[in-house]
Amino acid sequence: MNHLVKIAILEPSIIIRSGIVSVLHRMNGVRMDIFEIVDIAQLKSSLNREKPDLLIINPSIWNIFSLQQLKKEVANPQMKCVALQNSLTDNITLKAYDEIISIYDSAEQISEKLTKLIFEPEKENKPESLTFREKEIIACVIKGLTNKQIADKLHLSSHTVISHRRNISTKLQIHSTAGLTIYAIVNKLVNLDEI
Amino acid sequence: MNKFRFGKYGETDVMSQLIGENYPALLVMSRFGIALGFGEKTIGDVCRENSVDVHTFLAIINLIANENRIPPSFETNISIESLIDYLHNSHDFFLNYRLPEIRKKLLKVLNKDEDDLNKAVLGYFDKFVSEVRKHMMNENRKVFPYVKSLQKAENKNKYSLVFSKPHEQIEMRLAEFKNILIKYYPAQSTHEINDVLFDIFNCEKDLASHNAVEEYLFLPAIVELENKIRKLS
Repeated sequence: MNHLVKIAILEPSIIIRSGIVSVLHRMNGVRMDIFEIVDIAQLKSSLNREKPDLLIINPSIWNIFSLQQLKKEVANPQMKCVALQNSLTDNITLKAYDEIISIYDSAEQISEKLTKLIFEPEKENKPESLTFREKEIIACVIKGLTNKQIADKLHLSSHTVISHRRNISTKLQIHSTAGLTIYAIVNKLVNLDEI
Repeated sequence: MNKFRFGKYGETDVMSQLIGENYPALLVMSRFGIALGFGEKTIGDVCRENSVDVHTFLAIINLIANENRIPPSFETNISIESLIDYLHNSHDFFLNYRLPEIRKKLLKVLNKDEDDLNKAVLGYFDKFVSEVRKHMMNENRKVFPYVKSLQKAENKNKYSLVFSKPHEQIEMRLAEFKNILIKYYPAQSTHEINDVLFDIFNCEKDLASHNAVEEYLFLPAIVELENKIRKLS
């Protein structure tokens, strides 16, 4: 899977912060955009600006605030919060987090925990080859047909066409018509004079 | 002798050490018109000899060197004129050098038997370049004059500045192009195709750091200027 995962790290210790960053960089396969937040005073403005998918945070500097409240305030209810534990923290505080990483976790454990967290919703639809229907839709898209026109031509609802197009983008990691054109020619879905 | 250095670069650091540790700094130098051949001179001395604003130079260098993107604290010492010159030259670099060079190399490696496909590949690249051109020319023609007029306090009409969304789209398009070439283009794995791909990887990085300069240094400086003017009026 190749989409960009934005990760924010709030941890005042530069040694621990650099440590987690370097472990994250060793995880291949996922493109990450990591940014570090040094000062808790900058937390909200950073989160507002960057809208990360994941917040890794030292629970001992955040235990007085509610994470739910934070997600609401930065208008990012989807954000997953991970506690980066370097000392004992009480269970009630930890319960509020989506996942807990201990500084003694191995790289494999960390990678497994984060993978589960980030890719949870799409676990079932593994990248696979396109269906016949999806290929038909690509051919229509690159000829410049609108969703409505495709729907009429293939006797589908517009809603179905949109969801097919979304699946195509996820499977191929191609989001533009120009990109689909290249894909279609390589895979002989169309001839250039048809476009 | 190189010094032990940790954290940000400062004016007393040696220029050649900076380049040795961070070769993308070469791009910053050429955009400021600084030539090579500076021997053991410090960053501050080289900048002053070339009439380059040291604070602006360092702000850009430190932003680019910082791969983990710790957002810089607001830089009040930045010279907006220098920054505009820098960004202008940087646009020039992409539009008149980097992107045309990639196209030239691309033409050389395209597989002669794949006429239709080549049209589509070049079509994709040309469309990408024209989007970049449109965005950068808009900054040259509208945003920079607006900021200059702000500085002379001539302009009280707010101009809406949108950087981050078009930047993201530009970066995504180039990444997509690269992935399509890697995954689907029927090319022999040769030194030439690698060369094009390395150029595209580099260009992706350069675009990202160019965009970071605009988003993290230029935009906050403009906002500050706007606020100052609003208080005066």
